[in-house]
Amino acid sequence: MKALFQRVLRIVSVDHPSPLLKQAPTFAAFVIALLLVATVPSIVVTHPIMATIGICLLVAGTVLAGVFTRRPQLHAWAVIVPVIDLVAIGSFRAGTGGIASMFGAMIVLPVVWIAAEKSRAYIILAAVGSSGALLMPYIFGITVPQDGGELVRAVFTPLVYLFVATIVNELARQSRAQLTAIRNLADDKERMLQRTFEYASQLEESEAKFRSGDRMLRGVWAAVTEQSVIGTDVTGLIDAWNPGAQKLLGPSAQEAEGKSYVFDYHLPQELEDRARELNYPPGATVLNPGFSALVESARLGEAESREWTYVRVDGSTLPVALSVTKRVDEAGDTVGYLFVAADVTQAREVARLKDEFVGLISHELRTPLSSILGYLELMKDDAEHPLSDEQMQYLGVAERNAHRLLRLVGDLLFTAQVESGKFPLYSHDVGLEHIVTLAVESARPVAAAAGITIVEEVADSTSVVHGDPLRLGQACDNLISNAIKFTPDGGTVTVSLSKTDKDAVITVRDTGMGIAASELDQLFARFFRASTATRNAVPGVGLGLTITKAIVTAHHGEMDVESEEGVGTCFSVTLPLLQVARVAAS
Amino acid sequence: MTSTIVIADDDRDIRELVRISLTRAGFEVVADVDDGNAALAAILALAPDVAILDVAMPGLTGLEVCRLVREQLTLAHVNILLLSAAADDASRSAGLTAGATDYLTKPFSPRELVARLATMSSEEQ
Repeated sequence: MKALFQRVLRIVSVDHPSPLLKQAPTFAAFVIALLLVATVPSIVVTHPIMATIGICLLVAGTVLAGVFTRRPQLHAWAVIVPVIDLVAIGSFRAGTGGIASMFGAMIVLPVVWIAAEKSRAYIILAAVGSSGALLMPYIFGITVPQDGGELVRAVFTPLVYLFVATIVNELARQSRAQLTAIRNLADDKERMLQRTFEYASQLEESEAKFRSGDRMLRGVWAAVTEQSVIGTDVTGLIDAWNPGAQKLLGPSAQEAEGKSYVFDYHLPQELEDRARELNYPPGATVLNPGFSALVESARLGEAESREWTYVRVDGSTLPVALSVTKRVDEAGDTVGYLFVAADVTQAREVARLKDEFVGLISHELRTPLSSILGYLELMKDDAEHPLSDEQMQYLGVAERNAHRLLRLVGDLLFTAQVESGKFPLYSHDVGLEHIVTLAVESARPVAAAAGITIVEEVADSTSVVHGDPLRLGQACDNLISNAIKFTPDGGTVTVSLSKTDKDAVITVRDTGMGIAASELDQLFARFFRASTATRNAVPGVGLGLTITKAIVTAHHGEMDVESEEGVGTCFSVTLPLLQVARVAAS
Repeated sequence: MTSTIVIADDDRDIRELVRISLTRAGFEVVADVDDGNAALAAILALAPDVAILDVAMPGLTGLEVCRLVREQLTLAHVNILLLSAAADDASRSAGLTAGATDYLTKPFSPRELVARLATMSSEEQ
């Protein structure tokens, strides 16, 4: 029953009644009226033409209502139908007894329809229409007013209809306003629901993203087992402890987080020394200057990485390379620090073994060379059994080569020291003139033997630098002997020493075979040999310039080279002069 | 009077080289040994004019022998010359701090060795 009712409701939309539905009551009233005329003897047709016109108009109105129902775009004109109805009822009333007819009551139906339309103007239309319909018998001259009372009736009844129309119009207006309000409310609700759905789906999406990010972080965190990663707050209290930290130091995350401080795992003495070195930085905690020293660089926003000693819970120690960075919140304020450390025990061991190996090799190579050179000298100096010139010459060759081997050992040892950053400089204030002159003088015999002229150009004024005279001499020797090696018979090597405002400049220029431009940038690499060197079978292993550059760099100087193949090469060494260096240092 | 010399070096060839050079120059080599302990024993027993010690030796090192000899007041006259493969200033000053009279780096020239010993003896007189 209920289902049937709803089906009917669906078909006959009550919300937006069609013109045909609105016409239905009038049509039904007319049908009843016709039935009454046919069956009740006292109800008679007084004017058949008017009655017929009324019936025809009503049929026409109903048909029109049907048309309007089928064509929704013409709905605005549907109000014509009740107007036609009014005329139809007016005619029918006039044809069934005029003012005596009972069918005048039907007028209320189209009046309600008209009055329910939106504008207040329809109240007037309803009033005018209804009076027109009621006055029709007089208009068409079917009857004339009998007395004043009848006239009053002709005015009073439309007046009532005017009130009815006003009330209906107002009610319809209110109900429409309510309907609109309800619709707006429903729309709002719909929009809010839609927004809630969107928000929920966004939330779901970002939650999925967050979860995946969280999984990633957890994965990475758990995967770092060879480096210890420790997070602390600004006081050093540990709040994050990765598996690497457990592996390196012992305690599990549960045992360390929130229960111990990061400096509990450091050597107190080391922290104290560092704090003193930094002059007790005003850091995160006044109570623990060691911790402040530990995080000082990170606090200032610099990423610091240096070697420290970690102490395990059992008291054993291990050397680590530790990087400290600060953690910041959304506002950019420091909320703690991150300590990432890697065990460098093995690296240290390798470095130690390398040093040991280099030391051993250098000793083991020098000892036989000592014997070779010593016995060669014994042979040459034996007054009792003097050697022939030829034998002396042969021994000279052997001696020269033994010295060459010795230099190579020295160079290798020195290169190893440079690499491990442990090459000692015994610096004091030295005059470069003396060093340069000494290097030139010691090179003269070799140059003379090779038929090369050495020119020395040393400025009169003194150039004092802070440096190791032995190493600076070695650098000059290397450059000069290189120049001699790469210059053909009859060439010239010019060694000069000059000054600029701040620097002393030593240049060694030759008229030799030169170096290809493409090879200039590799010149200072270990074991690199220029193609001109190998092509011309100039002996050497490619360490001289590496060493020279290392020496110059260690003296805060710079090396430069200009060369043209077949024309010659010019090396220059720039060293900071002492006065300037002192001023800069202060 | 010729100077008496004790030589200590674990390398036989070097020991021999030193011995030949010094004998030729007229010095008297009273003992040549190949480790630090033997060197100390020989110096204590023979009280030579000069002890030539290799720094890197089995047993006591040349530096240790040098220090121990310097603790003996009766051996104050013994000149000690250290021989070492280490040519850097730090090793040299370590040797001199330990009480050595002179320090010579390997490889050395026999001529120079003799010259240095001659200087030592002339300073004595």
